[in-house]
Amino acid sequence: MRRLVLVDELARVEGNGGITVELEGEKISKVEFNIFEGPRALEAIIRGRPARDIAGIVSRICAICAGVHYVTSIKATEAAFGTKVTETTELLRDLFVRAGNIESHALHVFLLAAPDYLGYPAATAMAADHPDAVKLALRMKKLGNTLQELVGGRAIHPVNPVLGGFGSFPRAADLVAAREELLWAIDALPIALDFVAALPPTEVCTADTTFAALAMPGRYGYFAGDEIVVVRPDGSTTRMPTREYRTLTKEFVVSHSFAKHSAFNGEPFMVGALARVTANRDLLNGSGVMAMKRLGLHVPSRTPLDNNVAQAVELAVDLQMALESVDQLLAGGLVPEAPVRIVPRAGTGTAVTEAPRGLLVHSYTYNEDGRIIAADVITPTAMNAASIERHFQYSVAQHEGGSDEALTRKLEMIVRAYDPCISCSVHLVRRS
Amino acid sequence: MSKPTVGIFGLTGCAGDQLLILNCEDELLDLVELLDIRDFVMANSARDEHSQLDVALVEGAVVTERDEAILRHVRQRSNMLIAIGACAATGGIPGMAPEIDRKQAFHDVYGDAAANFELAADRGRPLSDFVQVDGIIPGCPIEKHEFLGAIASLLQGNPPRLKEYPVCTECRIRENRCLLISDDALCIGSVTRAGCNARCPSLGVACIGCRGPSVDANFPSLEALLVSKGYAVKDIHDKLGVFARLPEPAEAPCAD
Repeated sequence: MRRLVLVDELARVEGNGGITVELEGEKISKVEFNIFEGPRALEAIIRGRPARDIAGIVSRICAICAGVHYVTSIKATEAAFGTKVTETTELLRDLFVRAGNIESHALHVFLLAAPDYLGYPAATAMAADHPDAVKLALRMKKLGNTLQELVGGRAIHPVNPVLGGFGSFPRAADLVAAREELLWAIDALPIALDFVAALPPTEVCTADTTFAALAMPGRYGYFAGDEIVVVRPDGSTTRMPTREYRTLTKEFVVSHSFAKHSAFNGEPFMVGALARVTANRDLLNGSGVMAMKRLGLHVPSRTPLDNNVAQAVELAVDLQMALESVDQLLAGGLVPEAPVRIVPRAGTGTAVTEAPRGLLVHSYTYNEDGRIIAADVITPTAMNAASIERHFQYSVAQHEGGSDEALTRKLEMIVRAYDPCISCSVHLVRRS
Repeated sequence: MSKPTVGIFGLTGCAGDQLLILNCEDELLDLVELLDIRDFVMANSARDEHSQLDVALVEGAVVTERDEAILRHVRQRSNMLIAIGACAATGGIPGMAPEIDRKQAFHDVYGDAAANFELAADRGRPLSDFVQVDGIIPGCPIEKHEFLGAIASLLQGNPPRLKEYPVCTECRIRENRCLLISDDALCIGSVTRAGCNARCPSLGVACIGCRGPSVDANFPSLEALLVSKGYAVKDIHDKLGVFARLPEPAEAPCAD
């Protein structure tokens, strides 16, 4: 007998996607994470355009992580041209990306994922019974947006980061105001973490999982690092230079045409907060260590739902580190700097960073006039797609005798835990 | 007064306009009191997919047959349909660069899977190419104050009201240094619809036109000025073509 457990439009995720499961008797014949997002072919339609126009077009792949797309795009172009930016620019970019992480995690953990655990269809419905948690999350989310706006000029689709630096530096008075809000958030953090810790335990699947993340150089962050690290379920690791990112994503392409069990040999991998915490746990600051304990998170984990928990850990890490960056900027005086001059040259530049939902690659090739001739953008959701399907497979196999409704709920919780950005799925090849 | 029934939908795009609604952190809980939001899949898994709506807010361009089918269904169940954001209003980024053959472009990016796309259009098209649109909220993304203002208008049964003058006017009011005249930057604020309070030029960054053309935008005059500053016509058209949408040849205004 053939059955279909189908979610035709996933709710509380960014973009348009669904889930298909086909069973023949008790045998799983098909498990798919479907993408309905229309094609835009951004990498192809920018060809021939000058370097200054690229970030503003390519970053519109996605709204929730537009900030990190924007500055990763700039970083890739600067790498191609051999541009070196100032320390203040580096510091501001680090803060900007961190602010995006704060906003994205506050939105995802509390307003998109938490309603599943507590049985609400939406955060607005959850607010009736948990008004304090929802208000607290909204205020933390707003803080992330405020910081993004101060540094990036706009919370969604930034405008102020430019090749070589920034159009303008934030005003000290605005940063002082944001600092007050950061102090509030750090004080409020235990309440937020306890809300997450108290979410009812939920079983969706148990699976050996391979993780991939940026190897952070000395400091927990999302915008620096020259190596990618892969952590296998047994704890063994492999490192590769970021410019060889294709070594990682090539496996993904092979493993991705994935509807059959045999593709398990293709070894899908998970990227995102859980992967970062797993690969870089020695770099967690005091707030992060405290959060791990308070939330009872142990890595490497065998359930994708722990990505929600890991995002809460990063929220703790980021609020503290954002405060330190703001203090450093204020101490430095924010003396205005014009952007470093860009000297176009022919060549390829690659930037690998961490978006809120995982590894992000922008790689561009320019001609001698500084016009783009090739672009390659690989997004975290594209990398995660095979892993999502693998976790679906485990979940379906482990769901013996349960109802279809219960299975649907589990699969939805799995995909939502990945915090997918479906419109980000630039390279994600969909099946017919 | 009964609350107006509202649906919020996304077609092909980045979901940034729906995200902007979720970014109204201070207003969100009031908004759900004022409006009866029946269908907003990005935020709520409890969906009402069929009842009649007073207002539909639709983001994104039409690219696929699925986009078109959703749009037609939404149109049929809505009294007023508002296009939110650049993609829905003018085609936005999915519709830019019409000279690039999308069949080839899709194949380059998506490989053989491109053959499976069920497309409703040659490239991203605005909603108005398919259905009647009763109003727009411009921008990439929309501005929070304009969105909230539009909701206030809609509560009175009126479509959103927009500024007709260009970003240039707002920029002058803010007494910014002119990036076009003083710095020879390729700034297109003079032909872009106001409403952002000259966000980019106030930071020293050239306007990229993300709010679409202002009423009476004088493209030929801007082009002549930029050419006199040494810009190539192709680069000017490329810049205008991302959001500002140069009039297509058949619609071009007659010379005086």
